[in-house]
Amino acid sequence: MKKLNSNRLVFSALAVLTLIISSCTKDLLDRTPTGEMSATEFWKTEGDATVALMGAYSAVRPLFDRDYYFDGQGEYVRARGTSTTKDNLRLGDAYNGGNYNPSGYGSSFDKMYRYLYGGVSRTNYVIENVKKMLPDAKTPASVANLEAIIGEARLLRGMVYFRLISMWGDVPYFSKVIYDNAEVADLARIPIAQVKDSIMADFTYAFDKLPVKALQNGRASKPAALAFRGKLQLFWACWNKNGWPELDTFTPNAAEGDAAYVAAAADFKAVIQNYGLTLFRNGDPGSWGTMGNAETLPNYFYLFMPIANGDPEMIMAFTHGGTGTSQGEELMRDFSGRTHEGSQCWVFPYYEIADRYQSTVTGDFATKMVPTLPTATGARTKANSTLNPESYANRDYRMKSSIMWDYEMSIGLTSLKSTGFTPFIYKTWNQAVTINGVNYTSYNTDASVYGYVFRKFLRNYAGLGRSEGDYSYPVMRLADVYLMYAEATNAITGPQADAIDLLNKIRRRGNLPALKPEKTADKTTFFAAIEQERIVELLGEGQRSFDLRRWRAIERVWNPPYGAGVWRIDTHGANRDRYFQNSSELAYQQCYIFRIPPGERDRNPNLTQNKPWL
Amino acid sequence: MKRKRVFIKLLMVLIPWLLAGLSAVAQNKMYSGTVTEKNGTSIPGVAVVVKGQNIGTVTDVDGKFSLSVPAGAKTLVFSFVGLTSQEITLGTNTTLSVAMEANVVGVEEVVVVGFGTQKKVNLTGAVASVKIDDKITSRSLTNVSSGLSGLVPGLSVSQNSGMAGKNAVSLLIRGMGTVNNANPLVVVDGMPDVDINRVNMNDVESISILKDATSAAVYGSRAANGVILITTKSGKGMQKTSINVTSSYAVEVPTKSYEFMADYPRAITLEQRLAAVNSLRANSTFKDGTVDQWMALGMIDPLRYPNTDWWNVLTRNGSVQNHNISASGGNEKSNFFISVGIMDEKGLQINNDYQRYNARFNYDYKLRPNMNVGVKFDGNWSKYTYALADGFTDDDPTNTAGFDLQYAIAGMLPYDPATGYYGGVMAYNEDPQAYNPYTQYVNNLNYQNRQEANTSMYWDWTPIKGLTGRVDYALSYFNQFRYTAAIPNRSYNFQTNAFGSRTYVGDNAGVSNFTNTGYKTQLNGRLTYNKTFSQNHNLTALFVYSEEFWYDRFQNGGRNDRYSPTLHELDAALAGVTQTSGGNSTSEGLQSYIGRVNYSAYDKYLFEANFRYDGSSKFLPGSQFGFFPSVALGWRFTEENFVKTATNKWLSSGKLRASYGSLGNNSGVSRSEQLETLTAGHYMIDGAIAKGLVNNKMVNPNLSWEETKVLNIGLDLGFLKGRLTTELDYYDRLTSGMNRPSDMSILLTGAYNAPRKNIGNLRNRGIEGNLTWRDEVGQFTYGLNLNASYNSTILESWNEYLGKGATTSNKFVFINMPFNYVYSFEDIGIAQTWQDVYNATPQGASPGDVLRKDLNGDGKIDDNDKKAYPNIQRDRPTTNFAMSGNVAWKGFDLSILFQGATGRKDFWINNYNNVNFGVQRYASTWDHWDQPWNLENRVGAWPRLNGSNNRVETSFWLDDLSYLRLKNIQLGYNLPKKWLRIVGLESLRIYGSAENLATFTKFRGLDPEKTGNASDAYPLNKSFSLGINLGF
Repeated sequence: MKKLNSNRLVFSALAVLTLIISSCTKDLLDRTPTGEMSATEFWKTEGDATVALMGAYSAVRPLFDRDYYFDGQGEYVRARGTSTTKDNLRLGDAYNGGNYNPSGYGSSFDKMYRYLYGGVSRTNYVIENVKKMLPDAKTPASVANLEAIIGEARLLRGMVYFRLISMWGDVPYFSKVIYDNAEVADLARIPIAQVKDSIMADFTYAFDKLPVKALQNGRASKPAALAFRGKLQLFWACWNKNGWPELDTFTPNAAEGDAAYVAAAADFKAVIQNYGLTLFRNGDPGSWGTMGNAETLPNYFYLFMPIANGDPEMIMAFTHGGTGTSQGEELMRDFSGRTHEGSQCWVFPYYEIADRYQSTVTGDFATKMVPTLPTATGARTKANSTLNPESYANRDYRMKSSIMWDYEMSIGLTSLKSTGFTPFIYKTWNQAVTINGVNYTSYNTDASVYGYVFRKFLRNYAGLGRSEGDYSYPVMRLADVYLMYAEATNAITGPQADAIDLLNKIRRRGNLPALKPEKTADKTTFFAAIEQERIVELLGEGQRSFDLRRWRAIERVWNPPYGAGVWRIDTHGANRDRYFQNSSELAYQQCYIFRIPPGERDRNPNLTQNKPWL
Repeated sequence: MKRKRVFIKLLMVLIPWLLAGLSAVAQNKMYSGTVTEKNGTSIPGVAVVVKGQNIGTVTDVDGKFSLSVPAGAKTLVFSFVGLTSQEITLGTNTTLSVAMEANVVGVEEVVVVGFGTQKKVNLTGAVASVKIDDKITSRSLTNVSSGLSGLVPGLSVSQNSGMAGKNAVSLLIRGMGTVNNANPLVVVDGMPDVDINRVNMNDVESISILKDATSAAVYGSRAANGVILITTKSGKGMQKTSINVTSSYAVEVPTKSYEFMADYPRAITLEQRLAAVNSLRANSTFKDGTVDQWMALGMIDPLRYPNTDWWNVLTRNGSVQNHNISASGGNEKSNFFISVGIMDEKGLQINNDYQRYNARFNYDYKLRPNMNVGVKFDGNWSKYTYALADGFTDDDPTNTAGFDLQYAIAGMLPYDPATGYYGGVMAYNEDPQAYNPYTQYVNNLNYQNRQEANTSMYWDWTPIKGLTGRVDYALSYFNQFRYTAAIPNRSYNFQTNAFGSRTYVGDNAGVSNFTNTGYKTQLNGRLTYNKTFSQNHNLTALFVYSEEFWYDRFQNGGRNDRYSPTLHELDAALAGVTQTSGGNSTSEGLQSYIGRVNYSAYDKYLFEANFRYDGSSKFLPGSQFGFFPSVALGWRFTEENFVKTATNKWLSSGKLRASYGSLGNNSGVSRSEQLETLTAGHYMIDGAIAKGLVNNKMVNPNLSWEETKVLNIGLDLGFLKGRLTTELDYYDRLTSGMNRPSDMSILLTGAYNAPRKNIGNLRNRGIEGNLTWRDEVGQFTYGLNLNASYNSTILESWNEYLGKGATTSNKFVFINMPFNYVYSFEDIGIAQTWQDVYNATPQGASPGDVLRKDLNGDGKIDDNDKKAYPNIQRDRPTTNFAMSGNVAWKGFDLSILFQGATGRKDFWINNYNNVNFGVQRYASTWDHWDQPWNLENRVGAWPRLNGSNNRVETSFWLDDLSYLRLKNIQLGYNLPKKWLRIVGLESLRIYGSAENLATFTKFRGLDPEKTGNASDAYPLNKSFSLGINLGF
């Protein structure tokens, strides 16, 4: 009897345990995500396609929206560093660690390479998945919408591959979603011609399917696809005409180059003519204002303020958001000093840009300025002295809009509030200054060592922090298309009337008179005029170093190998930096083509290296 | 939901029983008597327990006891630490006189192991146990982990900061077991994952360190790196309620700190000298006039020409106060322990404060003769104030504000009380971004408070003899809240009487709130069966089913523009566009089946087998479960007659142990890592955020547990009647399938996070020894303990590509090398002459630069000239050792603890010994003035200022981090009981204690025990304390 009782107790104890066990386990080991979207819940509706596309934009935007650093590889802009945040793509990790000096940079863009392919994966993800939706699309409107989304993604993918080939030449190519590392682990490089054709296909598809006008600012449109297709062909033409000896797998073909110029010109012409696009504020110069005053600034300045967001001149731009959106740009942080929300002035002009700004009176270069020490007698009053504000009078309006010299004002900003005007005075940082009886505290940065800082991209209104800019950064401007059209046509047939006219339209923005006949006399002089406009118009937009490479002009600018190189000086006349002094041919070659990331070559034996980097 | 219901049911059942109180009394008989030593001295505090039952008492001051014994009881057990336990068979005589003999072996010593206790003699695994006594609680320690330093071989304890509240102590059992989280599992009263540093040391009764597979196996899934079991006090076996009060106060000073140069003209001169190396004198940032001016005016105008001794301004004498009061007691039916404590620490740094309050209540009640219930409650609360994450510095890469002591130039006034302004840069051409740390530490503080409650209850039932069923339920909850509400302030230039450009905190200063809350529940069902058969065979079997569940959430919010600097809640600031917010939650489940069988025959042959079968929600179905078995054998060979006869004279006990088994680890994998999810990647459309999603996961469905296989062989010996005991252990731990992000082509890493794979194998091999001598001579008792351990870590395989100098998470990895091995250039000293430079391989050096050796002789210096050191680790020592001793005479006791380590080398290159500092804003130290090589100082220990390649990791900067440290010395006095009784006290001990009194090392940096980053400046503390323990 007793034994039976015990057994029953044991039994019931076990039963209790079993009960607990069976009752609690249900979803113990099956946790669902709470803060992130479950992948299985996605790709259900047409709206999901747009959401995925936005994701692709967010991944491609940071591959282009700090291109201004690349200007450091040219001869007019110094990029002493970057404001990028390591391991944060949105905050510029693609540009992080890059060398933005005129030489020695070719081996420092492994991260850019990596994130560009990241952009490829992001766009492939959209293209492939939206394609799968097409057969189920119910209405023609649906089909059009989905195709337009594919078109946008293909345009973005094309831009990414275009950048890859223009830096590295032959590159691996894939156009589908990758599910396992093994699928790409042994990819070899594809000849540049073949990659170019794939990019052309992307741009052409985009051109066919995109709307004439972008659905919203920041998204792509037909003219954008066309402009990029034109640009690709222009570059292709340059490589074929000028050669790319560092890319030893590539054989230039002059005939193909000519054909590409023609095709490029046709695309550019279509952009210019077919969509009713105009320059910002109709290309009017606006008002210069007065020397040492920034109450009024020329129109060109406002082209780089959010007021120009969505303007027809911005054929393609990447949008940014202000406070609280976590999508701000950091233009102010990079382009201005501590006086402006504690900005860091990573990027500033070389002194030499000043003489590039032509006279509004003669329409030609002005007398060269004379670098002067402030302690020299009459430093502030002598004619052509760099420290005499009058030396900057009657110049291209884009000068006042782009750079600041001594006693030029900008609005100081602290804690999202204006602190009033602050005068820039080289080497007089953060000092009390009295000008015309008014007390100011001078601009503060010790970063600028050439005597100028940028005004371009520097906000003149309060309310946004240094990392909270809401400017839509242009990657394709109508002015650039004008200049590329002129370049393409000039290369085939020399100066054309319509091209000259377009150049004059751009010059009008600087309040410069039309080009004199001697500037358009032949291919060479007109090319010089085009280059001059590219330098001034596109300053700080990351075009210059790509131009120098495709024109094979590095030796022209910095002197040939084993030469004296070139000094950069400041407005006080001091020698600051010298580039390409006694540099070998190899150093030049390593500028013309970038290094395939060696870490990747260690993994992948099929991946070849560019010749100068072997 | 179900979980909750079960919990409520349990509560409803248990509460009435708990409230039932201490009423029931059975048919009992009173026994009383005296317990003495052999020489007749009475012994207070001897535990008198009815054998086989939880009934007992302790002897009083005169060694007297009286105990009510249930009718059926046959034997009383008398036990006392250091004395041989005695069993007295109960007869008709109810007055007993018991004489006890000293025995230092502690044969009957019981050790807490997973899900139970075991006699120490029957242990087959590698378990070290620490009894927390006066000697430990009297030390001025701010957390339990630092108290373990030097006590247990194989447990390495390294203190990484002296910052109040930071508790930066890393605990490691038997080397680094995995490149993922290698921390041991901490289990407090059966509840895993309790923060060891929030436990009140005064509440702890014992700590067991489970080091091998078999002892840790019952926690197998997460015990690969060993287990620390903490058991808190109870009133078990006591009859008289005792109340204890302890109180101590300590003063802290740094063990060593950087000597910043409070002499700005000299600092600028150094800047000039540095600049003169590469630039024309005319181009020097600082001008001679500035130096002259500052030298002259600095003597008369400290406001405009300050020479600030920042270290002096920013530090103070730290202090630690510990106050605790506890009460405990019990009877046949129930026992309790209740305690409250406060720890108040003021750090060396101004405004770095930490207070912790602890409350504990432990209670057990016997419902039926075969049924018990109990509850434990531990609540703690802390308040923590700090300026920067590392105290004086902040290693956050996104923090570009230069909050680093290296930018705290001497030529800046901290604060002017007359105007209320904080100083900024004043000297001509000084960098306006130079930094005033005083304002940071006064105006820009973090306030963090945290509450934790750890509660548990159990109900056990022994329906038939030997079989016990038990249900445990535990709930831990925490809430942490942090806010920042900086006070607006700007830098001020007292020379120009104007604000400088640096705004430390803008006028629109906001408030940020951060809330973390979470809970963890654990439900265990346990069956134990114990049977002795054929008299000499004992079998114990244990089966446990366990479920653990974690849930954590985080929420933060912030607004700009507070209405007033005195306010710090969100409502006290402007709502609108300048708001930020965020939040998320994670959860995790773990389901486990645990089994254990212990078998012993003739108390000589010991056998143990364990298994644990775990499923974790961190992995995907199909890979969720891991099975971790282990076995152990023990042989007490001195119990064999043939051994006994031979060794009886000198060997009092001997045991050989061997165990082998596997343990698991899933800590490298984050909770949602294996879930297929899309990540936000938004875009801006028409001024508003447009929702965007991207796929950055490539989940590896096969990812599963890391497995560590451990072989342990141990030998325990007791000599000379147990006066000398030794324990020796050898182990071999192989961790296989360490899960790491797999190597991925950079064609993909720009979009995808590399999926984790079970990649590498890591082997730890080592030996441990522990030697204890205890004896007494007359009234003089003394003891000595030596312990040491050696561990070597080798990465055995890594099934991914590893290039030369390959790193993972910034640690050097290579096959057959320790994880983060030393990879260094060899130096041939500082070049004294140009001839030295020409004699060396060309490397762009000048006299005064460190010359590097061309190891491969190819005529150039590059990475191929680096040498790898196969037996040296950069992050931790290979060998730890400690020596402790104690003597007691009459009421006096003295104890001393030395602790040391060797086998670690690292580069001494940080922000404060930089010979290539910036041309502005650098806070030079006196070493910068005295040490760099120059023509007048050819014997300088540092290379020249602004030379080339002098910050490269060469053997020149490679320091041996071996050290020996006088960790603690303590002198106490117990007042005679006779005196105390007059004032109604039971015991009174007063003591003085000193921590980290002396350190012997060749390391040139801050402290050889630390593993700080390049900007770390918070020293370890040396402290002197006085305290009192009162019992009544």
